[in-house]
Amino acid sequence: MTVASPRPRPQRQGLTDFTLAVTREDVAAIHAAQGGPDWLLADREAGFDAFEALPAETNDLYTTYIDLRGAHLGETELHRTPVVERSAIALPAGAAGLLVVTDGDLTGAALSREAAAAGVVLTTLADFIAARPDRARALLDNASTLPSNDRFAQLTRAAWSQGVVLDVPAGVQLADPIVIRWVTGEAGRAVIGRTFIALGDGAKVRLLEELVGADASTAIASSGDATQSFLAGTLEVHLGRNASLEVASLQELPETTVAFQHRNAVIGEGATLHWALAQLGSRLVRSRVDNRLEGDRSVVEQVEIVFGGDEQLFDLTSYTRHIGRDTTGNLLSKGALLDRARTYMKGMIVIEKTAVGTDSFLGEFGMNLSKAARSVAIPSLEIDQPDCRRAAHSSSVGPIDETQLFYLESRGIPPDEARKFIVLGFLEPVVARVPVADARDRLRAQLEAKWDAGVGAGADAAA
Amino acid sequence: MTATREIVTDKREQFAFHDDIAYLAETKRGLTRATIEEISGIKEEPEWMLQYRLRAFDHFQKRAMPTWTDGLDKIDFDKIVYYRKPSEREERSWEDVPEQIKATFERLGIPEAERKFLAGVGAQYDSEVVYHSVKEELSKLGVVFMGTDQALKEYPEIFRKHFGTVVPAEDNKFSALNSAVWSGGSFVYVPKGVEVPLPLQAYFRINGENTGQFERTLIVVDEGAKVHYIEGCTAPIYATDSLHVAVVEVVALPGSKVRYTTIQNWSNDVYNLVTKRAHAYENSTVEWIDANTGSRKTVKFPAIYLRGEGATADIISVAVAGKGQHQDTGAKAIHLAPNTRSRIVSKSVSKDGGRATYRGQLKVSPGATNVVASVRCDALMLDDISRSDTYPYIDIGEDDTSMTHEATVGKVSQDQVFYLMSRGLTENEATNLIVQGFLEVFTKELPMEYAIEFNRLVKLEMEGSLG
Repeated sequence: MTVASPRPRPQRQGLTDFTLAVTREDVAAIHAAQGGPDWLLADREAGFDAFEALPAETNDLYTTYIDLRGAHLGETELHRTPVVERSAIALPAGAAGLLVVTDGDLTGAALSREAAAAGVVLTTLADFIAARPDRARALLDNASTLPSNDRFAQLTRAAWSQGVVLDVPAGVQLADPIVIRWVTGEAGRAVIGRTFIALGDGAKVRLLEELVGADASTAIASSGDATQSFLAGTLEVHLGRNASLEVASLQELPETTVAFQHRNAVIGEGATLHWALAQLGSRLVRSRVDNRLEGDRSVVEQVEIVFGGDEQLFDLTSYTRHIGRDTTGNLLSKGALLDRARTYMKGMIVIEKTAVGTDSFLGEFGMNLSKAARSVAIPSLEIDQPDCRRAAHSSSVGPIDETQLFYLESRGIPPDEARKFIVLGFLEPVVARVPVADARDRLRAQLEAKWDAGVGAGADAAA
Repeated sequence: MTATREIVTDKREQFAFHDDIAYLAETKRGLTRATIEEISGIKEEPEWMLQYRLRAFDHFQKRAMPTWTDGLDKIDFDKIVYYRKPSEREERSWEDVPEQIKATFERLGIPEAERKFLAGVGAQYDSEVVYHSVKEELSKLGVVFMGTDQALKEYPEIFRKHFGTVVPAEDNKFSALNSAVWSGGSFVYVPKGVEVPLPLQAYFRINGENTGQFERTLIVVDEGAKVHYIEGCTAPIYATDSLHVAVVEVVALPGSKVRYTTIQNWSNDVYNLVTKRAHAYENSTVEWIDANTGSRKTVKFPAIYLRGEGATADIISVAVAGKGQHQDTGAKAIHLAPNTRSRIVSKSVSKDGGRATYRGQLKVSPGATNVVASVRCDALMLDDISRSDTYPYIDIGEDDTSMTHEATVGKVSQDQVFYLMSRGLTENEATNLIVQGFLEVFTKELPMEYAIEFNRLVKLEMEGSLG
């Protein structure tokens, strides 16, 4: 690997400096372009006030583990006015719905006949607000699904220019998954969006979220000189009684992208939520997941994988709050890192006093595949109720297991192949959860390509 | 069921005591540059130490109060007396110790302990070491065990070489405070190849309302030497808050072995804010054995910086948090050299509304290859008005580190209680036995006398209306 040519930096950037310019006028302009009700403007303005007032990290536990220096967004321009070009779009095989947003603009939406007949709504947030103002207000008002103490969540609340709503009535169970795709195309654009998923009592849905570059085949490793893009998004989830939602998210954005994600779930009585989150792309990812287990016997299962290379930083936080009785939380994060990649895995489990009978486990596991890689794990517990089935966390960081390597080699597999198998196997728990076969295969291919590129580059460096 | 019945009560008051001592010198309440100059003047210190203190004081004033733990804003630094001198000079033998102080020590059981097997006694009565004896055989071996103030005068070279090198004044707000006003504490030097055959022991206690205790301990263990140092604390109870801000520095030179054992049992009004850190050089072993049962709030994370290849770190941290208490304790292992290993074991018990927090750091720096590290934290909660937190920081910057971390939180197993009761124990005895078993990883590392004392302490804390 040759030494990268030094790129000029505008000025020395602090760890918490956020370089994207967003003004109060921008917020007003975005609102004017969308043409929503007054309460929405007030909500945006409240968000902007909070954005200006809050520090980049409000949790004192994590203030030493934030680094926004990878984000050079001084030249990046904020997307304000969504263009709606509802081109006819074909449903992919095995999907019940598809909605595509490219650079903030809606470029296609389709819903299967069965889903539409069952009353499922898949549309833009602006359309949803216009069509069902009361329901929209119940979902959005006061931003109860965006953490009030999070500066960037409040930025999203203030400056979102595009949104998606998936509204599933009570009792509706879709066999095929819904696909929501956010595409970054042109360099130098900042897109801020919100996505709402609401499932009525007993509803059951699988959701595939794809965060991809315009040209999926060239995908992640793209040229270094382009102006960075910014994509901030949410998944704001409401689950009614006994509802069931499986979310698979593939983040394969180009490395010229900075991605901020806020996912928040309010989980009702007997409801179940599965997260399968794969993080491959972007120069810098700052992700936060909030799981609120409010209903008795509610369940959340979260599996997150990171496969990082180059200079990538994955800053991943999750808060799981047990509130109801007999709730279950099972969280697993795994990171494999090449080159100079870094992960900050910050996981917090809170067991409130009301949460009798909790079963909660958090696992954070890292595999540093290069001497310059760095894994940080901060798995925390705050417990006010000892009467629980389980409250534990576990973490490990280690190299590739020599005994596993030996076993595979003894079966005639060459060492390089064996190492690849072990690493890809380490990440497989999330891959297996991706609901659409094509997407699953593409993720496997992406992981393999990244391994080949990373190990190839490593061999060059060693030579 | 008996769940609503009170299982444990706090009987710490029974062991509290307070003697009226005439102090020979004391500073005015509050802290200014003049206070520091006065302290340094009374002690007739060299100029460099005065300058060091003043620099530390400047930093203390500039440094913001930490916000990652709560309740520290309740400390009123203006109400504290920063220096008290209870008697004119260090006493050489037991006979010279004033009767009143001797009576206090009788209650602590020091003379018996010394007769039995302790090598030396460095008892700190408020801010000055008043009694100190080192057995002759240790003196012959060249072991130095004396008050830190005395060491500054008698061993200026070795003192200045190491003082403040492990915990710089600027390390944190409280290390700056200690560096500005430190007084007393122990100084230990063990020469090359010398194995100290018996544990060195010092008792600390606070006596006097609003007396800050700012002892400074420096332990230098030369190549291939071996020592075990023990400190235990007791203090009387007062209504207003006392402050204890200590700094302990340990230098473990190549091939040495150091064990530092603490039983902290301050009264429930004391803020106990301690910076303890060791530098472990090539093939040395450092062990912190640390138990915290007292104080209103303890903030203490014994740390080991593994600076030399092949160094080993072992930290056992135990905390019991009762009514009104917050034990914010833990451990840090910082791997800076190849082939180093560390083990952290933490056990905490919270009850009667107390809060036990484990906060730890495990860091492997780039270049520290082939590190093996493990962290284990277990917490036991005896009721649902208490709280338990775990905040481990794991930061790995190498590709061949083998690190594991496990943490669990739970309550006393009803199955175990049932089993023991079926064998004829009362519920209280059963619970007590289970708690003692939970803490055994700590007690088994103690010298026998301390283990008995610690188990007695736990038992008394657990004793209640049941049975």
